[in-house]
This record gives sequence, structure tokens and C-alpha cells, in this order.
Amino acid sequence: MEVNSRRSFFKKAAAAVGMVAAAGATKTLISASSTSSDEASKKYAADIVSQEKAVTGNQLILMSDAEKKQRLDELLNCHYQELA
Amino acid sequence: MSEEKIIDLKDEDELRQGRRDFLKHVCTSSAAALVLTTTPSEAVDSASNPDADATVAEYFQGHFLLMSEEEKLKAIARLEKRYSAKYMKKTTVANTPAPDGVLFGYALDIGKCIGCRRCVHACVKENNQSRNDPEVQWIQVMKMPKGNIAFTADQLDKGYPEKSEFGDYGVQVGGNAYKTAGLSTEDAQNYYNDELVPDKDFFYMPVQCQQCEKPPCVKACPVRATFRDHAGVVLIDYNWCIGCRMCQLACPYHARRFNWGEPNLPAEEMNPKTHYFGNRPRMRGVMEKCTFCAQRTREGRNPACQEACPVGARKFGNLLDPNSDVRQVLATKRVFRFKEEAGTYPKFFYYIG
Repeated sequence: MEVNSRRSFFKKAAAAVGMVAAAGATKTLISASSTSSDEASKKYAADIVSQEKAVTGNQLILMSDAEKKQRLDELLNCHYQELA
Repeated sequence: MSEEKIIDLKDEDELRQGRRDFLKHVCTSSAAALVLTTTPSEAVDSASNPDADATVAEYFQGHFLLMSEEEKLKAIARLEKRYSAKYMKKTTVANTPAPDGVLFGYALDIGKCIGCRRCVHACVKENNQSRNDPEVQWIQVMKMPKGNIAFTADQLDKGYPEKSEFGDYGVQVGGNAYKTAGLSTEDAQNYYNDELVPDKDFFYMPVQCQQCEKPPCVKACPVRATFRDHAGVVLIDYNWCIGCRMCQLACPYHARRFNWGEPNLPAEEMNPKTHYFGNRPRMRGVMEKCTFCAQRTREGRNPACQEACPVGARKFGNLLDPNSDVRQVLATKRVFRFKEEAGTYPKFFYYIG
């Protein structure tokens, strides 16, 4: 009887520890690693720089009437194809 | 019955009892572990109101589009409860579907825009963007020297195939074939801080999501958290987004913003009328972008930026309707396209009236 209860105690203890660890790991995964506000600010700033670079290197070209019609036709065709 | 058999039966009984106990302990300890491992920042929120925390069910919910109606209602109820508790005001999360028979398009008159940035601020206010450190803006207004525009519109439709020994076909050599007819965004200032606008030597060009008909961001998303609805608007399921930023890399217009930190949205400034795919408050680690104000346009209203523009530079409408503002712009105005648009078919047009 004594042996049995000791064995069951160890079993319970091991199971509890295992479950706590698993639940802790799951929760950590869910919450993801925390980023300090300084790090976040740096990352926001880096994003802004890359956005600036991307939008300042563009050229826009005036469309002719034929191009405008073609563009509209393409958009509408694409839309109706998607719906079909 | 022999003594040995009686002992065996006794053991079996104990074993059964032990298994039940074991399962009981497993359940109790896992529940306890979930409670104990709550992060401190969440604990602060939950100290005031436990409903303000994201629930485990929210973490594990599926893609909204693949949910049953019942699951959608449950997910929305969860969010409404959480937002109402967190921002201390009755918050609604709509699930209005995209209207049928509509393909949304947008047109912006560069000649009229005065660079006042009212559209930017209206967008931030309407769409519950992070207010400070940093203020996340979906619209970026560029200030460019007037010399960046150069074109002679009268020559646009001119041009003829070059005569050659192979026949009368080939590249266009007349009209605008040899000079750029359009505008360049070189030397643009993105963060000007003028006391008075417009500056007479400059013109202004707001840039936001171009709502491409063939969006590269949608193709890049490994989990299909971003998708295009049947009204042509590219949206994001914030709860399904895994924050990999592939869409941001794929977007040629850099119109997507990533939440590196927890968005900073004061309760008193929060817009409580939200849409699941639109302006509901986002969380750390997810992408966000212009949705043409899904919460408004899906209910037949205009986007906030369009309403805020004091000079009427912004036109919004249905590209399928030949009488809509956008179609009228396409039919009658001088409209630009990006030189390198990578076959994305943007539905956001820049024009000069």
C-alpha cells in the first residue's frame, strides 16, 4: 500500500511538473518574445526609412486614351474572371 | 476464489482509482499553469478588468473566412466584449460583407492636393491607429518640386511605327517616346513640417495602399491571412496573421505597416464603430494597412480620407459603374500610371484635372 501511494505520488508530481512546463511553453509561444520599446522604436524607424526609399524612386507616366481604356478593360476582365 | 485472485482484483481497483486521480491532477495542474503563466503586462490589464484580456479561444481561433456563421458570431462577441472592457466604451465589431456588383476604385487629383495632411489625420482617427511612439500612418504625403512634372499631353496619342526593312511595326517613336511624360518622385520630402501649405513651388502626392487587382502581398502571404474581397479591396485577418512580414516585402508601394510594439491607442480616442477586417484595434506582431475604410465603404459610405479632403482632390467610387466619379476621371482626365508597377493593376489612380 505504502509502495503504491509513493509510486502514485511520484507519478502525480511528475505529471504536474510536466504539464506546468508544457503549459508555460505554450503560453510563451502564444505571447511571442517581448520587444523592448527601444528596440521597437528602432524597428519602426528602419521601416520608415525603407518606405521612404521605396516611394521616392518612382516615376509616374501619363497614360494615353488607349492605355486608359486598356487598363480599365484589364481591371474589369480580371474582376469578372475572379467572380466566374 | 483463491487468495491470489482476490489480491489481483484489489490491484486492478487501485489501478483504476489511480488513473482517475492522475487525469484529475493533469487537468487541475494544466489549468493552474495557464493561470500562473499569465505575463505581467497582461496581469496589469486584467487587474482592472479581466474581460480586457485576449482569451485562449481568441488565440486559437481559425481564419475568419473559413468559420461557420456560429463561430463568426462567437468570435465577434468575444472581440466586442474585450474591446468594450479594454477601452471602457461600448464597441461594435461589424461583419458586413462586401457589396455585390461593386469594384472599388480611387482617384486623386495631384493638381488639387494642397498637402494639408487632413486625410492622414482623419485616417489615423477613423482607423484606430497607434497614436504615439510612433503614430502609425497608412497615408504618406510626399512633397515634390514642381520641376518633377514634365509632359506635353497633346502629344501623348501621337507616334508611329518606325519604318524598317521588316515592316511598319515596332516601337513608338513619336509623341512621348523619347522623353518622360509624367512625374518623378525623386527628391520628395516625406516629413515636411510647413506652417502654411501649399508651398507654391511644390506639389503634393499622398501615397497609400493601391488596392491592386493582382496584389503581390496576397500571393506572398504564407497563411492567406491577407486576401482580396470581391469588391477588390485587400484586407487582413489580424487574428490569423503570423507577422512574418512577407507581404510588406512583396508590396512595391510599401503601403503596409507592421506593429513592432503594442499599438498605443488611448481609450478616449478609440473609434468604437469597427469592422472585423477594418479598423478594429490591432495587436503587436501583426500587419495593417489601408482598407478603403471597410467599416464605412461596406455600408455605402465614403472613406474617411475622402470626406476629410478640403479641396475635393479625392474621388472614390465603383469602377463597374460608368457614371461613378472614378470612371469619369478615367474617361476625361489626364491619368498617370506607375512606370514600374510590376503587373499589379492598382485601382488607385493619380490624375491632373
